[in-house]
Amino acid sequence: MGKKLRWRVLVILLVVVGAVAGYIAVGYSHATKEWTGPGAPSFRDALRSAIKLGLDLRGGIHLVLQVNTADAIKAERDDAVETLKNQARDAGIGAIDLPSETSFSVAVTAQTDQSKLEDIVKRFLPDWNFSTGGGKWTFALKDPARRQMEDNAVSQAVETIRNRVDEFGVAEPLIAREGADRILVQLPGIDDPKRVKDLIKNTAFLELTLVEKGPSSEAALKSEFPGGVIPPQFRLVEAKAEPGAHERMFYVVRRQAVITGRDLKNARPTQAQFGNHSVTFFLTASGSQKFGEATGANIGKRLAIVLDNRVQSAPSIKDRITETGVIEGTFSPEEANDLALVLRAGALPAGLVYLEERTVGPSLGLDSIRKGITASVVGAVLVFIAMAVYYRRAGWNAIIALLLNALLLAAAMALFEATLTLPGIAGFILTIGMAVDSNVLVFERIREELRNGRAPRAAIENGFSKAFATIVDTHATTIISALFLLQFGTGPVKGFAVTLIIGLLISMFTAVFVSHTIFELEYGYRQHIDSVSI
Amino acid sequence: MEFFRQTNIDFLKYKWWAIGASWALIALGIFTVFIQKGLKFGIDFSGGTAIAIRFTDKPDVDHLRKILDGAGLGEIGIQRYEDPSKHEVLIRVQQQAKEGRDVAGDVLRSLRAGLATPTDPSKIDLNAEGKGTLGARLTAADPDKVVGRSDVNPADYYTQAAERIIAQRSSLGLYRSPADVDAVEGVSAPVKTWIRANTYTGPFVLLSAENVGPQVGADLQKKALLAVIWSSIGMLAYVAFRFRSLPFGVGAVVAIVHDTLITVGLLALLGREFNLVVVAALLTLVGYSMNDTVVVYDRVRENQRTPKKEPLEAVINRSINQTLSRTILTSGATMLVVLALFFLGGEVLNTFALTLIIGIIVGTYSSIYVAAAIVVIWKDFKARRKLAVVPATAVKAAPAPPVKAEPIPQSPAPSQGSKKKNQKR
Repeated sequence: MGKKLRWRVLVILLVVVGAVAGYIAVGYSHATKEWTGPGAPSFRDALRSAIKLGLDLRGGIHLVLQVNTADAIKAERDDAVETLKNQARDAGIGAIDLPSETSFSVAVTAQTDQSKLEDIVKRFLPDWNFSTGGGKWTFALKDPARRQMEDNAVSQAVETIRNRVDEFGVAEPLIAREGADRILVQLPGIDDPKRVKDLIKNTAFLELTLVEKGPSSEAALKSEFPGGVIPPQFRLVEAKAEPGAHERMFYVVRRQAVITGRDLKNARPTQAQFGNHSVTFFLTASGSQKFGEATGANIGKRLAIVLDNRVQSAPSIKDRITETGVIEGTFSPEEANDLALVLRAGALPAGLVYLEERTVGPSLGLDSIRKGITASVVGAVLVFIAMAVYYRRAGWNAIIALLLNALLLAAAMALFEATLTLPGIAGFILTIGMAVDSNVLVFERIREELRNGRAPRAAIENGFSKAFATIVDTHATTIISALFLLQFGTGPVKGFAVTLIIGLLISMFTAVFVSHTIFELEYGYRQHIDSVSI
Repeated sequence: MEFFRQTNIDFLKYKWWAIGASWALIALGIFTVFIQKGLKFGIDFSGGTAIAIRFTDKPDVDHLRKILDGAGLGEIGIQRYEDPSKHEVLIRVQQQAKEGRDVAGDVLRSLRAGLATPTDPSKIDLNAEGKGTLGARLTAADPDKVVGRSDVNPADYYTQAAERIIAQRSSLGLYRSPADVDAVEGVSAPVKTWIRANTYTGPFVLLSAENVGPQVGADLQKKALLAVIWSSIGMLAYVAFRFRSLPFGVGAVVAIVHDTLITVGLLALLGREFNLVVVAALLTLVGYSMNDTVVVYDRVRENQRTPKKEPLEAVINRSINQTLSRTILTSGATMLVVLALFFLGGEVLNTFALTLIIGIIVGTYSSIYVAAAIVVIWKDFKARRKLAVVPATAVKAAPAPPVKAEPIPQSPAPSQGSKKKNQKR
């Protein structure tokens, strides 16, 4: 064995040992992380969990959500209206009128103290521009402030979803912002998509507010106010439908809530009477103070518990309450649990809209893996047979190179933490095709050289060196197309591109370096070679 | 073993026939697309919802349609697919006018309400719930009496049991009755008794649900188109750079466009849908076809380096013959794996594999009859234009121009230029 050859063998052995060791190490680290049972994961578990599987293979949900940033802006406007009203009252400005909740403009009459009003706006509403005209001041949110608010709403939504998912307990969730107002959520291994989808989308906006009138039908409530119009300090809220009830019931409640979800410190599910479940919540110090004042001053009145604009229940206040309250309703144990969870994790700053959903159930994933693996194994075996029959001894070289290719690809996928998807399996198979091509190019060249009467050893050398440029070209063109796929592709298609690129890089190594070394080992040390089995 | 031993087929003799055949196939594809009023897009591009579910018994498609028509979702298509004995159904719902409706959720809710009749509302559906819900219910019921024991965490204990039960469902496909849980290993008898008493098996299990809104559909369309365009440009640049020759680059790219057009046309003819996976397959075949073309081009370049003066067409013919054995063998081997994918890979990979089957055949053909032929035709055309300004005697000396390209060595300027180029490499 020559010195150069010894080096080559050493390099190959190191790569193989490194790949096997790396694969097993990654496998153990993944398996240990996911392990829930007693003891430690077995060797088989480690082998199985080294490569991360995509959602299409292991089951799970892929969601693209859009944050309805207009909601956040609307909330900001409501806050501004509230501030302006309070400040105007404190400053003793009379006759300020905030007639509508949809457009934010203020009627300013001759008596209104305009300079004081201007002062208030400058001090307390710095994010708002105002224009005067027609006896009205019209307010508009400044552009940078609006952008900032939209941006905050999206980041806050990402944070809230992450909190909820973490509390629910999902292994390896991916929650990421995409573009200006989109959020990508990928949750592998989820087996009840319905529940998780509800959990994420639930805005969980909780308000506790005093009941003015109700419950009754919409028309009956309106008729109790002069002109049939509900004054702006109140609003109409629908009640949660009672089981068996046909008529929709409403309450008239105060627009300004006593406390909201922001005042919550904790929430947990509790079992109520008759097997119904409810949620008990606990307030922060400032929340307790506000709640105590409001309940103490309104004993005998009813308090509506409004969740996402639906009155859950409206118990009467029997005593001053400070720290804790109960949301009663006809919840199932899961619903109570999830409601407590979203209340703990915080409300979403704005509503969410599903733009894209891809759910794969666990049984389909299992089916896909089985089929993908069967197809790969059958395809590979067919190729092996063809190579062995067509090229005899040299065909076995190719088979060793191909097996090594598969091994290195698996190790590379594990070490780079690349995700294997169903199209990725197809990429795996195509890599085998490309690797075969490299071997075929070399072997055909060697045969040609032999036909042209070259000595076996020279034929092998020439075969490899002449085929090399072609092999580089063919790999480069395919890698170029795979790179663009990676750039523009999404989800599973990306998995295909990743597998293909890694596989092609490895195929260059196995088809040129490894295959050549095997030839050298076979023929290199002999003084005379009479023929090459090819 | 050897199939081809020093063949000497005059491939390029038939180039005009081949070009006619290519155009015919492309026209057939365009005609098909025209008749079908555009390509049939999958929901990736067109938007909409597709839900695959597996039933315990043979589903009554008409009944399902009746239930779903009441859900106010617009046009609904229901088809049975794959192996009919598996009772699998694919439900498609048209794109909703308003973004953001949870269509998959609504379909499943309507189906459950229309089909399932739980006798007791407190029972849970073993075919719908996940380990979380099942584990929580078990923890609350505590059939094994572990609550209060210091060595066990009840929630973990029951979640593990639930996990085993759901894993069994995944591997069975679905549960037909709560008694099926008896076969699950590692779950205690009291738990199994509790399952029998407190659960029921719903009529179906969800295999997959996809819902693509209009915005995302449009985005994906744009991205797929960009991927195809940019990868073509990338390869044109690479080939033009490697071979330092415009006709080679143009030939390779025309071959790619040719392959894509024919494959898309044939897929449309076969009634296949276009989705992201097909785009991935198209890009792969573009890579594959390019691969084949590059092998032939490489050989042409090598053969041009020999000092022997030979007409270009003869050089190309010789190169094709020399690489023929490799071409057939590689295509054959790749075809073997793709066929394995086609027959054994399952629903998702089926269209992918079909695209590649067509692509491998068309791609192999195009590297000879499109990529190589264009180089010959281009050079012929150039030579004829040169000859037109040379005195008439020279034209007479040259044989019939359209097929043979012998005039090139006779005109001194281009041959010297190419010689210099060759030496540089």
